[in-house]
Amino acid sequence: MIRIGDVLVSQGEGGVYSERMLAGARVWDPFRSKLAALYYAGKGVELTADMRVLYLGAANGTTVSHVADYVEVVYAVEFAPRPMQDLLEVARRRKNLVPIMADASRPEQYAPLVEGVDLLYQDVAQPDQAAILARNCAFLRPGGHAILMLKTRSVDIRKTPEEVFHDTIADLATAGLEVVESVWLSPYHKDHAAIVCTKPGRVMSHE
Amino acid sequence: MQSYWFGDVDGEVCTPFTGDAAARARRIRTLRATMDGFIPLAWKDAVACGVCSDRSGYFSALRDLCFAAAEQDIREQYAGKDTELLQMVRTLDGMDEMINLLSERVAEWHQVRHPAFSRKYHRTPAHVLVKSISQKQRGALGRVAQQVEQLAAARTDLAREVSSRANQVMPNTSALIGGLVAARLLSNAGGLLPLSRLPASAIQVLGARTALFTHLRTKSPSPKHGIIFQHRRVHNAPKELRGKVARALAGKLAIAARLDYFRGVLVPEFLDGAQARIDRLGAGDKP
Repeated sequence: MIRIGDVLVSQGEGGVYSERMLAGARVWDPFRSKLAALYYAGKGVELTADMRVLYLGAANGTTVSHVADYVEVVYAVEFAPRPMQDLLEVARRRKNLVPIMADASRPEQYAPLVEGVDLLYQDVAQPDQAAILARNCAFLRPGGHAILMLKTRSVDIRKTPEEVFHDTIADLATAGLEVVESVWLSPYHKDHAAIVCTKPGRVMSHE
Repeated sequence: MQSYWFGDVDGEVCTPFTGDAAARARRIRTLRATMDGFIPLAWKDAVACGVCSDRSGYFSALRDLCFAAAEQDIREQYAGKDTELLQMVRTLDGMDEMINLLSERVAEWHQVRHPAFSRKYHRTPAHVLVKSISQKQRGALGRVAQQVEQLAAARTDLAREVSSRANQVMPNTSALIGGLVAARLLSNAGGLLPLSRLPASAIQVLGARTALFTHLRTKSPSPKHGIIFQHRRVHNAPKELRGKVARALAGKLAIAARLDYFRGVLVPEFLDGAQARIDRLGAGDKP
């Protein structure tokens, strides 16, 4: 990850959401982006130039645009028409961004579009977040990483955030993923946690 | 055989799909992959298929398809007749809020300029006061008052449009409860489809969220009505009958919303019975 001093940045064309620029690079604000918060609060997954990423819950393309600055290609899945309009606008100017309008809980509908990926990132704020991630692991190469952004308040409001957090980690383990890092995103995002997993198996290189 | 966006792959043989991005976008909707034992596509198959020659060509073709598909999807989602009505009602409610807020503010300001002025015993409605301020006051205060008046005029136009649009989009619901209130129900439910899926009990208290959850949490009495209180049959009914009328009206509204969603035309035989029943209840007769 590129840092200027303590500030996380990405190299790319600015002005996506009037983000601050620093020495020609785009400042990646942890208060706006949960992925940026993960890089501040924990270790995260190093984004590299040869990476292929499947991004579920792309929304307005704020975080997606930063990810696209780092990696080879991002398949960005979003379901709602309103944010999709913004995402298309971002994708028009970033040639390594493939915008897909589909429901992240129905991978069979976009499977004919997406190749195998090295990183699966999910931020969909649904009650069955872990199940959606597990279903999409079909796209993830063995040895690849999956990052789940857990909005505990969307999963079950009756449970405490900690309970939801532990239950989700258990669910992911049951789904055959190895949890390598789990951190709360405070103070950047309240009641949000990031869970980083790997898919067991032999690491294969790109064809 | 596996079907991908660029064609069908069967073992070593690939049959490319010929057609432009729009045709590919239409085809992609019909494709469903089986996720059991699923193996993601390999982009080199597309090269073997003759769809593209290199990786940048692959992305360029794939992106064209994805843009076409997404734009088509967005267009279809917005084409629903209720989508614009939703925006119109929410704008109307926003304008109401602004007009009330600014009228009050202007009146307060006016009072400071004129120490002898008081609204006590005058019963001047806010809009009349705003009008007189806009005519008499100079400077920013007069200008703001003028703007509030214009906003109020635009609001009246919008309300008329909302009502007539609601009559088209939800004819049965509008016939029962009036276009404006019907549109507010629609806005609260989030659309015609969600509204048609609500049970009558939910429609009855739509818009009374705070009271409902206070009731569920504590021992406070349950709300009898939400938005539907705005309808004359409910608020004109004697207090002890209001709950009864609201319940019956909500029941009929639930049916009306389903008629609106699935048939989309006025159903007179339903409406006659429904109107008669609610009128009977409101008059205090036994059902």
